[in-house]
Order: sequence, then C-alpha cells, then structure tokens
Amino acid sequence: MPDGYAVTVDALAGWLPPAARAELDQLLASGPEASTEHPHRRHHEHEAHHRHLALVAGRAREIIEDQPLPAWLADAVAAAHARLASRTGRGAALKVAVRSSAAAEDGASASFAGQYATYLGVTGLPDVLGAIRRCWASGFSAHALEYRRRAGSAGSSGGTTIEDHRLAVGVLELVDVRSAGVVFTMDPVSGDRDRLIVEANWGFGESVVSGQVTPDHWEVDRSSGRVLAEHVSAKGSWSVFDDDAGVVALRPLPTELAGQASLSAQEVGYLCQAAVRIEAAADGVPQDVEWAIARGLPFPDSVYILQHRPETTWAPGQRGAVPEDRDPAPPAAPEPDPRAPDPTPDPKAPDPRAKAYDPVAYALRNVFRVPGA
Amino acid sequence: MPPTLGSVNRLAGTHVYIGTIDVATPWQIQARAARFGQYVSPILADFDRYWSMRAGELQAAYDHFDDLDLTALDPAHLWVTLQDAYAFHRRAWFIHFEVMYVLTANYLAFYALAEEIGLEGSQVSSFLAGEQTFYGKTDEQLWRLAARARELGIGGPLRAASPREAISQIQAMPNGTSWLSDFNSFLATYGQRTEETCRIDTPSWIEDPSAALYTIGSFLAKPAGFDFHAARAAAVAERDAQIDAARGQLSGDNLQRFNEALASNQAANFAWWNEEHNYLIDRRAAIPARRVTLELGARLAADGVLNAPDDLFYLFKPELFGVMNSASGNNAGPKWAELTAMIPDRRAYFEHWRTRGPELPTMLGTIPDTVPDPIMIEVFGLSGHFLQTLKGAGGDKGEATAEIRGFPAAKGVVEGTAKVITTVADISKVEPGDILVCGGTTTEWTPVFGIITACVCDTGGSLTHAAIVSREYGIPCVVGTAIATQVIKTGDRIRVDGRAGTVQVFA
Repeated sequence: MPDGYAVTVDALAGWLPPAARAELDQLLASGPEASTEHPHRRHHEHEAHHRHLALVAGRAREIIEDQPLPAWLADAVAAAHARLASRTGRGAALKVAVRSSAAAEDGASASFAGQYATYLGVTGLPDVLGAIRRCWASGFSAHALEYRRRAGSAGSSGGTTIEDHRLAVGVLELVDVRSAGVVFTMDPVSGDRDRLIVEANWGFGESVVSGQVTPDHWEVDRSSGRVLAEHVSAKGSWSVFDDDAGVVALRPLPTELAGQASLSAQEVGYLCQAAVRIEAAADGVPQDVEWAIARGLPFPDSVYILQHRPETTWAPGQRGAVPEDRDPAPPAAPEPDPRAPDPTPDPKAPDPRAKAYDPVAYALRNVFRVPGA
Repeated sequence: MPPTLGSVNRLAGTHVYIGTIDVATPWQIQARAARFGQYVSPILADFDRYWSMRAGELQAAYDHFDDLDLTALDPAHLWVTLQDAYAFHRRAWFIHFEVMYVLTANYLAFYALAEEIGLEGSQVSSFLAGEQTFYGKTDEQLWRLAARARELGIGGPLRAASPREAISQIQAMPNGTSWLSDFNSFLATYGQRTEETCRIDTPSWIEDPSAALYTIGSFLAKPAGFDFHAARAAAVAERDAQIDAARGQLSGDNLQRFNEALASNQAANFAWWNEEHNYLIDRRAAIPARRVTLELGARLAADGVLNAPDDLFYLFKPELFGVMNSASGNNAGPKWAELTAMIPDRRAYFEHWRTRGPELPTMLGTIPDTVPDPIMIEVFGLSGHFLQTLKGAGGDKGEATAEIRGFPAAKGVVEGTAKVITTVADISKVEPGDILVCGGTTTEWTPVFGIITACVCDTGGSLTHAAIVSREYGIPCVVGTAIATQVIKTGDRIRVDGRAGTVQVFA
C-alpha cells in the first residue's frame, strides 16, 4: 500500500454547518416522485428524472463546495499531511491521491465502485483540503444519486437523504507509476476459480480499468502458479499524469514501449500470490485487486496494492440486490466538474425476462428440483 | 450439480465402480444451486467463446509437450517436466468436468421442458444429432485407408495377419510404402489417443497402431465401404424432420421456449461434445505424463534401478514423487529398492484383475430404487427401470427371457444374429452384419458401428456413447437393459426395436 492517512466517516458526518445542511436536505427531498417509482415506463419520464437528478447534483455540490472545512478538521488534516510529507521524505513536493470511499461501497452485493471522485497529483495543503470537500461532494453526483436509488441503499423512500451519505476520504502518496493494472482472482469471463487473470499496461491503471486499451493479459493457474496464457498486446496508449491539468490523461504510448510486456514474469507471479492472500483474508470471496508498480524502486518494494473489492458480477445475491427495474438508464447528464469523470454505473447485463426460457433456471427448478428455485 | 457432489470411486482390484454422493441437507442444495447458476449462466450465454478458450488451452499444452525432445532433457529438467505433465493432467480433467456439468444441465433442462410441453424427453437427443466430431472424422479416415488398401492390392495382410506382421508384410509389397506413409500421416493427426480413459499404462495409437490396423482390417471385410456423407446427410435430415414434427405440435409460448431451448442446446451441444472432447481430454490427457514417465523409466532401467521402463506405472504417484524428491535431496522419502521390490507383485495383481473383468457384476452392494444424480441416469443409465431389472436379475442369471426392455436410444427395427462382446479387447470378433450386444461402449468401440446392424447395451441412457453414435450411424439402439449380456448368447436370433426400446430373443 502507498503511505497515507484517512478522514473517517464520523469525522465528515457532521462537518456541514446547520444552514447548509438544511438547504441540502430540502433539495434532496424534492423531485418528480412519480417518475422515480416507474422510471422504465416511459422514455420522457426517464429524461425528466435524469434532468432533475443533474440539477440536484449540481446544486448540492455548489452548496457543499462553498463551505470551508471546520477549523478542528482542517487542523487535523494539516497535521496528518505534514507527518505524511515527512515520512515519505517528499516535503512540500509531496503529491497525493485523494479518493473517496462510501461506507456502503464495495459491499459484496452491489458495486458502488467508481461512483465517487478521485483527485490525483494534489500538492499543498489548501488543494488537499479542497479535494477532500469535493470528494465528499461527489457523493451527490447525478450518477451516485441514481446508483444509490437503484441499488436501494437509500431505504424505501426511493430518494436519498444526507443521513445516508456516509463517506470517508483517503489521502495517499501518489506513486510514480511505471505499470499498473488489475488481478482477478477468478476468471471474470468464465468464473473459473482455478485461474487468476492479470491485466496490465504501462503507466497508470486508468487505461486498464476504463477499458480504453487492450491490456497485456496473463492467465495463471492458481495451484501451480504456472502461466497458462500470455498475450502481450500492442496497447498504443497509456495513462500518464498531466501535471499542468492535474489529471491522469490518456496519451499515445512511446513506440519503444508498444508491444513490450508491461510486467516481468517475476512481477506477474508476485502479484498473483499477493492477490491470493488478499482473497483468503476476504473470507475466500473472489476479488479484483488494483495494483501499481513504482518506477525507481527495487522489486518487490516497487509493488503497491492500491485497492481490492469483491468480484460483484459473480458474488452471491446479485440478482436480489438489483431492483426490479433492469432497464438500461439513458446516458447520464454531463458532470459539472471535469476533474471527476464518473463512469456510467448501469450493468450491461441483458434482461433475463426478455426470454421465455432460461436453461439454468429451468435446470434448477425442473431437473434438480431445488425448492424455491 | 446441486443435488449431488459428483461420484466416488470404489475399487474392486483394478476395476472402478462409480457411486453417487448425494447431497441431503436443504441448505447445501440451496447454496449449491446459487453457485451453480452464477457459474453456468455466463458459460451458456456464449459457449462457443468459452469452449474455444478451453480447447485452445488444452491444445497449447499438447503443442508444448509434443514438441519437447525428452531424451535431450537433463535429469532436473525431466523431473520438472514430469511434475508439469501431472499438473496438466489434473487441469485437463478439471476442464472435462466443468464442461460436462454445464452441458448436461443444458441438455437436461431441455429434456424436462420437452416433457412439460407434451413431447417425449427421449426425443431431445435426436434433435441434437448430426454434428461432425473429431472421432467421426477418424472413422472416415479409417474407411478411406481401407478403400486405398484395397485399391493398392495390399488388403490381404491387413485382414489376415496380426498388426505387427501386417506392417512388415505391407512394407515388402510394391505399393506398401506408399500406403504406410499415408497411414503414418493419419496417425500423426489422429493417433494421439489411448485405447482407454485414465490409463497411463496404455499406449497411444502412435506407439501401438494395432487398434487402427484391426479396424481397417474389419472394414475391408465389408466390401461396400461406408458412405459417410450419405450417413451424415441422412442423420441431419432425420434430425431436421424430427425438429419440424415437434414444432408442428407446438404454438405460442411453448413453441418459443422450445426454440430457445433448442438454440441453447445447438450452441452448447452435449451430444456433440460427448464424442468430440475425447480427443482433447479423455484419451489424450495422460499421454504427456506417460511419455515423460517412460523416458524417466528408460533412464532408470539403463542405470539398473528398474527392470523395465514401464515398471514406473506400478508405483503410486506419491511413491514416485517421494522417491524423486528424496533423490534430489529435498527430503527423506522412500528408497528405490523398497519400491522396486513391490513391482512384480503389483504386475501380477493387475493381470489377475484384468482377466476377472468380464465376470464382475454390473453393480456392487445394495441396489437403490432411484439415484438423484442426472448424470448417473442419462450418461450411465441408472434409470428406475434399469435398477429394478438388475434387482430382479440377481437370482436367475442366464434364464431365457422372451423380451428385454431398455431405453429407446436410436430408432429403427432390425432382426439379426447377436454377437455378445464383454471386453473391448474382443472387438475384432465383431463381423459385418452382427448385432452388437455389450455392457456399454466407449470411444474405442466407435469404428465398429460402421459394420454392425444394431446395438444393445446393459447400461446407458439418452446421453450414452452408444446412443449418440448409433444415431449418427443410423442404426437402431437400445441401452440400459441391465441384463442383455446375461440373457442373450452369441448366435441368438434377436429383434431390436430402437423406438420401442425392446429386444426380442428368439434363441
């Protein structure tokens, strides 16, 4: 793990001044209720619903970002940040990643991942404090509101309230990344638990996670550690940190790196072992593990595990956790903050009801006679 | 599968009896059902992609092992390669059962749907016939080689001589080398198969082509040859006619469900895979481990540690790995002398049980009324009827029964002379025009379906090898009779009705 500190859920729970809090609660309670009940009935209701969400999100963020953090919280962050700058030896040049994590996020039943903002390459205390506020505000993006409504975490009202907004923020040293990517402790295509899948590219992991390039791909046998398949792709682009814009951006990959494997065999093996240990610590639930390899550090100190989460596509109870409404949502409203691009949350799973016959459901019910299947 | 933990092996000497492990507790069934659904749904959603990944993985491993020059490996590398070959063997069988359960579930769901909408479940397998498989192509090549041998005038040795003599006789004939080079290139593609499943001690056709030569010889005895294109066209036409007839009986939601289930089974087709996968798994997965083991055995025999390279087949894997580990100084395991001392006894034990094979009973222990595992029913044929018949047959073996009932596996009515075969080693006794009566068939029996007129088996259900292959060859077949090989004698006049599932014995 990169070194860092966290601003906890409880620390952030009561930070908004009462006036802003009241305004926000009123805003969240408003809305075209009829369309939230049956948003799949009519397309124009979809549109109205999403226009409303975008309005709510935009206004909520204005309200929140206007408020300075209370002095006690700003002081605590300043102290933690100074300690981190000293521990890492970077001093004032310390670059950090500020990322949010919802208390309800990354549960095994429905993925909240990617609904909240991450700010990379932040330097200096004032910018860090601003990023922490914006991270917290990102919990009120149109995507996040819609996602929480659909996943039912906001309770029976179908809306969301400020009480539901339980978000922590992590501040981590920004690693000078050489290569990055993901390890799946289960083949996400077939569900085969005997093999681990490693996907990697040069540079930051965004190019891999967002699916913007065809990454290098390894399939590794869990028990023997043997590489069963290796595909080094041409890649063509990579995610690099743009210091001027303060964002990770996709750029053409230098020709000397294109077609070259972005990981050594030793690194592939080490990442797989680490991922298996993480899975074991997570009660054996299959995980996807994001990692990065730092430039200029000796192996294996160079290997950073960034985050892991259950493979929700395969985890038990998914069908039950997704509400009845399985229509794909229309394209969401553009984000007001260009530094916080959220991916579209809707699963692309086909609606099983569109078919008259599902072989697996049929086998469970009529062949294996599983009660209640 | 939710109601079963698969099968457990019980050994009678060297013979494997398969038992079911039923899941009795409801919470386990529920948990397994949930996992099963999550695992299987995405595979069935795009089976083609899934299977091409698996088949590609297996092929990549075979390419690797086949390309190794084992004699050139240093001892440490050879030992690593042996472990690697065993690890691959395990992986191949993982894939085997993964695919097997997925496809069986798909098939059984279609079967249950068919019964629900007023069709016969037993028809379902005929909807899925007519697919080309690797073993179908093998048979076609064997027929081609038989026809070419006849053209070149070298059929005599193939019909009369033992395989080894046949090769040296053909070599001496004018056109002999031309035919042999044709035969060898056939083996390079189709000869990566052993005669039995899970037997590291049996050679591949490349090592010992006797089985292929026997088959070509038996095809030469049937001068007309076998028209594969006509047989396949007929199987496809019959399949399509059956599908059309079924659709004619259906409408509305039932028709839509039928069409979707059919499409799912055409894409993920058990009847096809059951034959096809033998080439990549059942008959091939042990060959890399066999070759490496024999190379190690040859070196040990040259050093005087073993009497013969194949001595190693009479050690358990933990014994072999233990002595290899201790030889490389990793731990204190057994010594070679302790192990080699046991080998003569073990060879005798194997031989004793091999000869006892045909006389062993079909089932051991208390016969249940039903089994819950659909694979046991449809693949191994443990239907209620089969189990009841087997219970009834306990006391009066051999007593003539006018009519035997079984599962109607492939349609058609044929009357003819029975040839009872209890072991695949006797397969060369089958002559053109015989009705084959046997315990059950596996891949190495496939070529015989080109010369018999009907097939009757003790075991089997709708997904049994004999049932599938009979449909491809267009001959009547009844499986799961439980007692055919006990009641019918070679030379008996019998009448097989593959649609009714009956066999009349005229004696």
